[in-house]
Amino acid sequence: MQDRLFRTARTACLAAMLAAAAQTPAPAAAAANWRIDPERTHIAFAIDGVGYPRTRGEFRRFDGRIAVDFDHPDRSSVVFHALSQSVELGSPSFDDFVRSEGFLNAARYPSIDFVSKSVEKIDEHTVRVTGDLTLIGVTRPLSVDVAVQREAAGARQRLAFTAKTTINRLEFGMNAGFPLVARDVELVISSEAAEL
Amino acid sequence: MSGRLRPERWGALPIALHWLIALIIAALIVIGWRMVHGELSAAETFDAYQLHKSLGFLVLALTVARLAARGWFASPPEPQAPRWERWLASFTQGALIVLTIGAGLAGWLVVSASPLPIPTRFFNLFVIPNIARPDAALFAAAVGAHKVAAWAIAGLAALHVAGALKHHLVDRDDVLRRMLPFVRE
Repeated sequence: MQDRLFRTARTACLAAMLAAAAQTPAPAAAAANWRIDPERTHIAFAIDGVGYPRTRGEFRRFDGRIAVDFDHPDRSSVVFHALSQSVELGSPSFDDFVRSEGFLNAARYPSIDFVSKSVEKIDEHTVRVTGDLTLIGVTRPLSVDVAVQREAAGARQRLAFTAKTTINRLEFGMNAGFPLVARDVELVISSEAAEL
Repeated sequence: MSGRLRPERWGALPIALHWLIALIIAALIVIGWRMVHGELSAAETFDAYQLHKSLGFLVLALTVARLAARGWFASPPEPQAPRWERWLASFTQGALIVLTIGAGLAGWLVVSASPLPIPTRFFNLFVIPNIARPDAALFAAAVGAHKVAAWAIAGLAALHVAGALKHHLVDRDDVLRRMLPFVRE
């Protein structure tokens, strides 16, 4: 039972990682459903620049779809979209600049997409989600280790997940300001899901 | 009482321009220092740069206008002072104007040649065009020139203030008073 619950949670959290306001579809088996808490979901990034403070931002609008196979976690999948236009860095003019052609090119590429291809258990608290990330029209493989935490909040179970990875923006053709603006972009994704 | 009649004081327009430009230059130095060396966040730094650029272009325009209109302003007579003092005062004032324009043009070159082109929105009203293409070497040279000009302006402004205070406190003449706003004779 314990093992089953963990497996359920594990697959759900994978999906939950990047998808907000999405509900795990009810699987054939009577497994628990999990709902992502958008208030506690953050798709954040950080990037360094020469002679410039570390720039941190977040995408405020996102959505996703999840398909979970509880018996075969490997067949689980995650699709998520973050809206380029929803980027926030703490200053409207800075936001506009990052939305402009040299970076997110939000007018031409309205969304940043991740589509998983495989899900793999690493250890009791970690899973690896591998898939494709599409950014400004360029698709590159991306593998993310997701840390999973189970929390009891009253009668309900909650799952917290965090994923941290680094992407090379040059691989996506986002060259603006390089090398003044660093090559690597750190992605930090955190989310919480509640048992329904 | 021969020759052209000279006023006792500077006119309202030269006084307004002088103090407005002085105030903006002081703000530019403070903002410029903070955006480069301060403990601001990335977003605050971005906004500080935008404000610095807008104020910089404002000072550049005001200084060029002031220089162009120089002949129209009736100037009060020069105070009695040793020749070297008069020379030093003229040099300081002239250098301040030249360096203010120089710092402004160097700054314009900095934003134009930057390897990371960020549009200069003059107080968010319109975009100021660039005067060069992105060029790392030109950018570095322009940053150096802008910095040297800024430090020189700070030093010369201190000398200019010291001179004005010397006239007011030591010589007890009206050189400072005649440039002060809201003073009635």
